[in-house]
Amino acid sequence: MSDIRILLVDDEPDIREVVDVSLGLDREFSTRACASGADALATAAEWSPSLILLDVMMPLMDGPTTLANLRKNPRTAHIPVVFLTARTQSAEIEQYISLGAQGVLSKPFDPMTLAASVRSYLPASVAHHVS
Amino acid sequence: MSAKLIKEILLIEDNPGDVRLLQEMFNEHGAHDTEMTHVDCMSAAEKHLVEHAVDIILLDPGLPDAQGLGAIRRAHAAAPRLPLVVLTCLDDETVAEQALQEGAQDYLIKGQIEVRGILRALRYAAERKRLERLKDEFVSTVSHELRTPLTSISGSLGLLMGNAAGDLPKPMARLLAIAHTNSQRLVRLVDDILDIEKMQAGRMVFNFSRVNVGQLVTQAIEANRGFAEGYGVRIRLEAPRIAADVRADPDRLLQVVTNLLSNAIKFSPADHEVVVAIEKGTEMVRFTVRDHGPGIPIDFKPLIFEKFAQADAGDARKKGGTGLGLSIVKQIVDRLGGEVGFADAPDGGTIFHVQLPCWDHVASLAIDREAKPDALRLLLCEDDLDTALTLRQQLGQVGFATNFAYSAGDGLACAEAAQYQAILVDIQLPDGDGISLITRLRALPQYRDTPIIVVSADTSRGRDDLRSSKLNVLDWLNKPVDFERLVRLLPKRTVHDANKRPRILHVDEDNAVARALGEIGDVVTVKSIEEAQRALKADDFDLAVLDVTLAKGAGPDLLPELRDSRGNVIPVVVFSTRGANLATDPQHKAALAKSHTSIDSLVATVRDRLASRPANVSREVV
Repeated sequence: MSDIRILLVDDEPDIREVVDVSLGLDREFSTRACASGADALATAAEWSPSLILLDVMMPLMDGPTTLANLRKNPRTAHIPVVFLTARTQSAEIEQYISLGAQGVLSKPFDPMTLAASVRSYLPASVAHHVS
Repeated sequence: MSAKLIKEILLIEDNPGDVRLLQEMFNEHGAHDTEMTHVDCMSAAEKHLVEHAVDIILLDPGLPDAQGLGAIRRAHAAAPRLPLVVLTCLDDETVAEQALQEGAQDYLIKGQIEVRGILRALRYAAERKRLERLKDEFVSTVSHELRTPLTSISGSLGLLMGNAAGDLPKPMARLLAIAHTNSQRLVRLVDDILDIEKMQAGRMVFNFSRVNVGQLVTQAIEANRGFAEGYGVRIRLEAPRIAADVRADPDRLLQVVTNLLSNAIKFSPADHEVVVAIEKGTEMVRFTVRDHGPGIPIDFKPLIFEKFAQADAGDARKKGGTGLGLSIVKQIVDRLGGEVGFADAPDGGTIFHVQLPCWDHVASLAIDREAKPDALRLLLCEDDLDTALTLRQQLGQVGFATNFAYSAGDGLACAEAAQYQAILVDIQLPDGDGISLITRLRALPQYRDTPIIVVSADTSRGRDDLRSSKLNVLDWLNKPVDFERLVRLLPKRTVHDANKRPRILHVDEDNAVARALGEIGDVVTVKSIEEAQRALKADDFDLAVLDVTLAKGAGPDLLPELRDSRGNVIPVVVFSTRGANLATDPQHKAALAKSHTSIDSLVATVRDRLASRPANVSREVV
């Protein structure tokens, strides 16, 4: 059963594919990928993912702006967001957390443990309900 | 860059003759577009650099408050993005050469300069600095850009190596392992280059906290165990449970230990041990990393902490190093206020050591032990120990005792434990921002009106914060702190109470209380409200002790009259063994403490009130 929905947002197609395969190692995850913040807002509202994995540096709408917009919409405001970013100075991590992100994962990531890391950020209700 | 872009020169020079000479040269030879401002010490220069736009610094590194390389480092730290030209005497050329390594762009020798030469040197210096900056920006951009493809490459290879795409035939697995290892190495290289660039540009942020060295080293060893196994090397930790806490940034310290470990592992022969040991001294904690490698060649020893320094380029490539690890270690340890070095091990190999300030030692510095007993007490919430110590020293000279809190949590606890007459808050604290700390301080009744001053490297950050408008912050000071302005803001001790026993008005009939109070100050004991009123007209008091259950005339009636000759409210300690309930006007409420129990506790309350009196008094005047 693939019941835990993860929405991945990254403007790099290759990274989307690698993350998709990495998350696929967890049989309970089903993943959708968006290439832009705008696309992510629409998909999140319509698909109701359990968690959003969000790139920081994207053209047009960057990660923090996307997060702010997700929080404005009642249908997406509650969805946990984890940043996946190449910038992981502790000051930046604090800044992202203060924006309302659940966590920060750094790029490059270990593809064999990415799914487990993402799982650790899921709300207990989601993680337990399924497994 | 053309010379026209050099508009403001800051000349830091304490020799009036040299200043005159340089200024005359500039005036006579028509450097029309260029202004030269002169300061005669480093602290004035630091202040000037905060407040004014400057294009280039001309520095004589023999100043009253900073000398030699120290002066160059301070100038560079105050303005890392500005070109710096050093002025030296003929016999100072070694300093001049070191100056170039410390970030100066050029040096001029006094007695050998004429104005065209200076202008040319300044122009070249500005141009060199511009190119350095372009290079740094380029490095930063390229490193970030490199991470994106590296994420895809190392991710894909990692998946293949983890058999996420099915089992691999052996020869293919071998080749993929090579590609995977090298992609990881490239990631490390990019990380290291970024770190070096950040540290040089002064953009690496350090968050200090209490770090248990044993736990941190254990964590680093665990993280490197797999790497060590790849080289057939074992890692052993001696005395892991020693209670050795240091003050450091845990992320950065982990980077130091990891770099030292990976070096030791790479240079150890298979089947040997890397030994890590921790020792605790009184002021410093020292840890050592010992390898059984070939040792460091003698010619290479002076270069070991240099960037891209490797004993033998071919060898280093074989070891998979970046040549940046030790340079990063050195720069981080310097910033942590520690020391790093190395020595040949007695029976072959090398021992690297790192010394860092003990937490206990740093914590013991939090209390100002040098201050005079009657000094006004200030609390400085600041995580940078050097800044804190400098301020304490300056404030001590004008009669203040300055205690430190190294974090927001610490600051709140200190403020609750004792009464301070003013609080200085750095906006950036390791466990939260200073604004939240001020909000919480203001919520405490005893700090509702205490002067709070913000001290920050970037005061605009919090000043624009909506929350801060309600916090009644007395002023926002930039670092380095304009000391005179700070002193003007701080509460002052009134003339009459300096070096003098406090005068206490005691309204009571109990002689035992009067005797006890006599040990603290000069006591005037009166037995009635009328006597008290007379005494108040005749004399100035620092504090009143009042029994509210006094039979003749209700004690509370006296409260509005408790003012000294300048109209300042006199703090009151209400003493009642019968637990009387007292309604007071709001003006006196803040100055009022109650003591219900013993004479001892009354005396303690009186002492506490007297210690905090100047803030109350001077505040009421304003």
